[in-house]
Amino acid sequence: MNVPPASRTDSRTKILEEIRAATRTTANSIELSAAYDSIPRTYQRTGRMGAAERVALMIERLREYDADVVETNESGLAATITLQLKASGRRRFVAPQGLPSDWMSSEFEWNVDRGMSAAEIEMCEGVVTGSTCGIAESGTIVLHHSALEGRRIVSLLPDWHLCVLYASRVVETLPEYFARFQQLPAMATYISGPSATADIEMTRIKGVHGPRFLNVIMVQDIGTE
Amino acid sequence: MSHTGYHPVLDPALAPPFPKAVLPVLRNPQLRKNVAHAIDVIQAKRARLVTEKADWQELRTSGAAIRDHALANLGTYLEQFEDRCTAAGGTVHWAADAAEARRIILSILKQESASEVIKIKTMTSAEIQLNPFLEAAGVKAYETDLAEIILQLGNEEPSHIVVPALHVNRSQVRDIFAQSMGLQNLSDDPKALTAAARSYLRKKFLTVPTAISGANFLVAETGAVAVVESEGNGRMCLTLPRTMITLAGIEKVIPRFQDLEVMLQVLARSATGERMNPYTSIWSGVTPGDGPQHFHVVLLDNGRSSILAKKTERQTLRCIRCAACMNSCPVYRQTGGHAYGSVYPGPIGAILTPQLMQMNHAQSLPYASSLCGACYEVCPVKINIPEVLLELRSQVVNQERRHPTKFFDPMYLGMRAANLAFSQAWLFHAAQFFGRMGLKLFTGRDGWIHHLPSLGGKWTQTRDLRGLPKQPFHTWWAARQKETK
Repeated sequence: MNVPPASRTDSRTKILEEIRAATRTTANSIELSAAYDSIPRTYQRTGRMGAAERVALMIERLREYDADVVETNESGLAATITLQLKASGRRRFVAPQGLPSDWMSSEFEWNVDRGMSAAEIEMCEGVVTGSTCGIAESGTIVLHHSALEGRRIVSLLPDWHLCVLYASRVVETLPEYFARFQQLPAMATYISGPSATADIEMTRIKGVHGPRFLNVIMVQDIGTE
Repeated sequence: MSHTGYHPVLDPALAPPFPKAVLPVLRNPQLRKNVAHAIDVIQAKRARLVTEKADWQELRTSGAAIRDHALANLGTYLEQFEDRCTAAGGTVHWAADAAEARRIILSILKQESASEVIKIKTMTSAEIQLNPFLEAAGVKAYETDLAEIILQLGNEEPSHIVVPALHVNRSQVRDIFAQSMGLQNLSDDPKALTAAARSYLRKKFLTVPTAISGANFLVAETGAVAVVESEGNGRMCLTLPRTMITLAGIEKVIPRFQDLEVMLQVLARSATGERMNPYTSIWSGVTPGDGPQHFHVVLLDNGRSSILAKKTERQTLRCIRCAACMNSCPVYRQTGGHAYGSVYPGPIGAILTPQLMQMNHAQSLPYASSLCGACYEVCPVKINIPEVLLELRSQVVNQERRHPTKFFDPMYLGMRAANLAFSQAWLFHAAQFFGRMGLKLFTGRDGWIHHLPSLGGKWTQTRDLRGLPKQPFHTWWAARQKETK
């Protein structure tokens, strides 16, 4: 049930009238997009690095954020995931609905998210997800919350997040990410390192509310596609 | 009693003028030390990350142009945002002023039968004084940003828009947490304090079904809201509750999703000196099965559209609330934020607050600046703050000199006399003649004036004045012309 916007008629009209009087805009949609297109954009939009350098930068940035990064190739992926899960010392994991079954070693307890409650997810010690994109310059991991990346809640509540990132999806700059995904997502989360705060005397402390541990598996798949 | 020693007033309608409000801070060395330390750390981080960015000036140019374009077509983009957000399952409300925004939010909470609400840090909600209003109406608001928890539990006021508790140091935080969370053995290690906040809030996140956020950006193209944060408290509030209310100033809109490629780059570097803030969340309306299933956006005007109408002042609305201006300001560094008597302190506050008050309050703020221009230099969307400060100063003077009580004010009397003298050459020369005679009485043997009586004493109290030369320029010039002929 939604609350109807009671003030729609009065204040909406009043605010829009005041804005129109202030801006005196009469631009039609063609003029508007022409004006938009004339916005100067001389900042760096495309990357300058080769693939190997770009992926190396991504890994370097992730490590600066204290993320744990291991590299593997496609054939070694499932085994690497199992190794990382083992090394974490944890047992109970959440899996997004679309997680491939060979990523889910039977040595561990798996809770596949088919609408799990927050309390149920909170009981799990870790989560494994895929990712949409990596942005090397800032070490950012992008989730568009597909079936492989899971609902927003599954990569949030567990304290330990293992994220699989394919090297072919790593771009150098933020504008390259925006150029790459013209299909606009209904939801997106950009993660640049584990949860942190500097609110007390500007001292950076890791792990406030989000996962305290971010683990990334970089899958070297360039040239094999 | 607050832990930092005094309690400031952050309501611009009630706050004392800046020169008076600043006194308790200037007498509080601990507070000044806390502020200076925090500012130095952020400044250094910002400087390092801006230097590494070769295209920084180009990003600033684009950032300013995107914001200007959005403001010039604000009506169109707001309607577009409303359309898309509504189509995606959200409900958009319009609030002309603070009181209306508070009423709308309360009525949504009442419909949800909410007795508690969790909040992501939003300065806009502080602007409309939402928390005390909700409290009085029986809804307990829980702040979830670490700095905001410190303020809320310690009964402190925000002094910065990005790190609002920067005036509180670790031992003061310890005392606040120990007292309000009942943790007598808590240490003052920031790590332990952060852990205390984490466990204090965990249960709230999992149980409170309603949340309030601000917005860093509203995307017209997709009807999306973007929230940037560091701790994950934002993601918690955006994901766990059943109902989500976003309060956003009408100026927050940007035209397209892609514009975030500029805004996010300049915001993180300017605000916290990071290449990117740890978490950015972007969502359009409601997604079945994921996150809040009721979503409301309250668009707040509260004086903003009147700023839009003015040529020089419009740029104020470009602001993306990064706080780089206050971090770079030599005045803010000495005074901290409370003296500004508003939730928006520093240079941006000095121009924004009086304008939001329609120039009826906070008239002392445009003077709380040395006009050094550091704020303009660091602003990621190139707001020429000194230019707006000067414009507002002229408005304050115009307001004041027309006021009947100021008619015999010595300064305005003097200004009117000067106005008259400058209007006729003979009057000017006569004034000069008598002025020189008068000043000669006060000029020392060294050619300097050290003391002046009455009003003039305000100048010589702190500085000397050069004595006048033997003859004025025009006399010298006239004599020279005669000689060469």
